[in-house]
This record gives sequence, C-alpha cells and structure tokens, in this order.
Amino acid sequence: MDRRRFVLAALGAGSATVATPWLGSAAAAAEDDLAFANFGASTELLVRDFYAKAIDAKLVGAQTTSALRHGRSAAGWHAKAQSDLLTSAGDVPPDPEDFDFQWPLRTFKTKAAMVATGLAVLRALRGVYQTAAAMASEQSYRVLYASLAASVSQQIVALGGAAAAEPFPVALDIESASDAIERYLG
Amino acid sequence: MKVLAALGAVLAILTGSAHAQSQPLTIYAAASLTDVFRAFDPDQRYSFAGSNALETQIRNGAPADIFASAAPLNTQRLFRQNLVGKPVTFTSNRLALIVPKSNPAGIRSVYDLRRKPVKLVIAGAAVPVGGYTRTVLRRMGLSSVLSKVVSQETDVRAVTGKVALGQADAGFVYATDARAVADRVTVIRIPAWAQPRVRYEIAVVSSSSKKAAAQAWIKTLLSARGQAALKEYGFLPVPGA
Repeated sequence: MDRRRFVLAALGAGSATVATPWLGSAAAAAEDDLAFANFGASTELLVRDFYAKAIDAKLVGAQTTSALRHGRSAAGWHAKAQSDLLTSAGDVPPDPEDFDFQWPLRTFKTKAAMVATGLAVLRALRGVYQTAAAMASEQSYRVLYASLAASVSQQIVALGGAAAAEPFPVALDIESASDAIERYLG
Repeated sequence: MKVLAALGAVLAILTGSAHAQSQPLTIYAAASLTDVFRAFDPDQRYSFAGSNALETQIRNGAPADIFASAAPLNTQRLFRQNLVGKPVTFTSNRLALIVPKSNPAGIRSVYDLRRKPVKLVIAGAAVPVGGYTRTVLRRMGLSSVLSKVVSQETDVRAVTGKVALGQADAGFVYATDARAVADRVTVIRIPAWAQPRVRYEIAVVSSSSKKAAAQAWIKTLLSARGQAALKEYGFLPVPGA
C-alpha cells in the first residue's frame, strides 16, 4: 500500500470506527467523561472549520487536498460521536453557532503557516484523547477515545508529513489543551 | 353649544391618547440589563431582578408591559400560558469568573476553584445565571466545586457585588456585569468550549394596556440603534442573526 492509500485508509478508519457502543452507558457518564466529550466535540468543530478553510485556500496539491477532505469528514464524524454521547447523557452538545472561530491572519496564506496551525490544534486534541483513553470511566468510552486518538494521529501525519510523527506523543489534561486552542475558538 | 361639546370630546380623546402615549412603559428586565436599558431609554419605568422572580411576578398579575429575560426558559413558559406574546431573541452574553482585585485565594484559572480552598458565590439554580453557572461547571467536569459555595444569590448583581466588595473569593457572573466593576475585580475567562448558550428574550406582556407602545419599544431595541447600545455595554449579537 503506498503512502497516499495508507493515509486515506487511516483517515477513513476514524469514521468507520464510529459505531455507537458507548451510548448505552451514556446515562452513567461520569463528570470527567462529559468534560472530555464537551472539549472533544467543540475542538472537532474547530478542526472541521480548519480543514474547510485549508481546502478553500488551495495551498497544497491534489493528494494532500484529498487528505484534507478526509480529515474534514473525520472531524465531522468525531464531533457527532461525542455530541451523541452528550445528548444521551442529557447534555446540550456544542453547535458551530456557539463559536466564532478565529484563525490568525496568515494561517491560510502559506502552506507552512497552515500546517503549523493545524498541527497545534490536532496535537492538543490528540493529547486529550490519549488522556481520555486512559481515564474515561467506561470501557466503551476508552475504546472510543483510543480510536479517536489514532485517527487524529493519522491526520497529523497526513498534514505534516513524516516529520510531524512523534513516537511518544504527550497526553494532555483538558486545562493545558484548552489553553492551546482557546485563541482559535473565539 | 353642541359643536363646542363635540370639540371638547374630541380634545379629551386626543389629549387622553397623547397622555397614554407619554406614559412610561413598565419594563420587567433581567438584572444584567440594568445599566444598558437605563442608558438606552431612561424614560421608562424599570423593575430589574432575577428573570425567574420577574416571571413569577408576571404570572401573579404584576402590571408589566414588557418582559426581558436572561434565559428563554422564563419567557417561553409564560408564552405557553399566553401570559406574554411571542418572545424574540435580542442579544446574547457570556459567562465569566470574577475575583476581587486583591485575589486573596490566588485564583488564576477556573480549575483553581477545584485545587484551592475558596469561598465561592453563585446565583441560585432557578436564576438564569445560576443555571448557566452549573452548566459551565458540569461541562468542565468541575461540579464538585459547588461544595465550596458559601452563598447563593437571587440575581447576578448580588453575586457581582459580593465579589467586588471582597465578601467572596470568586463568583460566576455575565461578562457584561464583570465589565461594570472592572476597577474592583479581575476577570478570569471561561473557555469558549465550556460556555453555555446565553440568550436573552423579550416579549410584550399579554395584560399590558400599552401593547402598541411596547411593541414599538421592542422594535427600537432590535434596531441598529438598540443593538449598538447593547454592544456598547458588552452584549453580543444573536448568533446567526
């Protein structure tokens, strides 16, 4: 399998794994689980907005553009999965209208700026997913977050190339990750 | 003589009508709207309080012409009972954590509420800002800090006052209320992903005898002039409007 097919397959896996076994236990979701889902769903909406603008900016070739489209699709699925969890738990999930996404002026002017910003957001998101995969109260949530972390890792490689891959990515608490992305959420 | 009597009657109607027009409206409004409404139109008669308390008063027959609530829940409940006309959303807001300038508890982030011993003041659960506060804490996984609440107030101005006076270490208020006491408190931002959907609604009270004037007032509030006044006081536009 060549790199392109590998990346596209991996990005697709992010959505393919979105079945809903965790919804059965949503009523029993612990408070930290809801915090992971709120942060995750909101940040995935941000990521989806990033991909949409990155595609529109036409800064990359056809292969990477295809990866960006898959990334946008995956972000939508990830947001929906966590929104469904929140709804099942009786919470109101985030909506794109809740945010006024703010991208630094030059983000979509050059490929380097676009990649750097995208990686910053994706790494913060993956860091929280890693923490959630270890700490969520239910087994089904841990499986969900492990899957989401894997998908976001593939997106990081697809966006930043092999140089963006990290052998031991750092898990983050929500507070640290929140500080990293707050400027973009508006 | 008949002509004079007729003229007199017409005059009485006209002056009576003019008198009705010049009479101020009675506007029941959420406490967080105090400054902006008074500045926007000082000629009306206002009653500011927690939206839940105002809702109860209107249900009990209080003589209000307009009800402006900090949460759709209060206006929609009255609308379902035909006690107000169809509510419209006219502005939005955000929540903020405030601490006294002296910051005796050393709070730098919302998460410090969990880490440090603090005296927290919030509004009661039935008050819109109290409900929004609980939503924020739940979204952030911080509901445990409710055990540190030393006082539950009846409206947001009371929360703001207690923190500004240093009677509490921290309190959750609207961003607009925090602005009003910016010289006495420090504002700690709540992450956008944890913010609740704060929407203000306004409606004409069904028992009002000045419905046309009330409707006109609401129209002015929704106009560019009204929206500019709200913006000046830190209120946000209605998303998607």
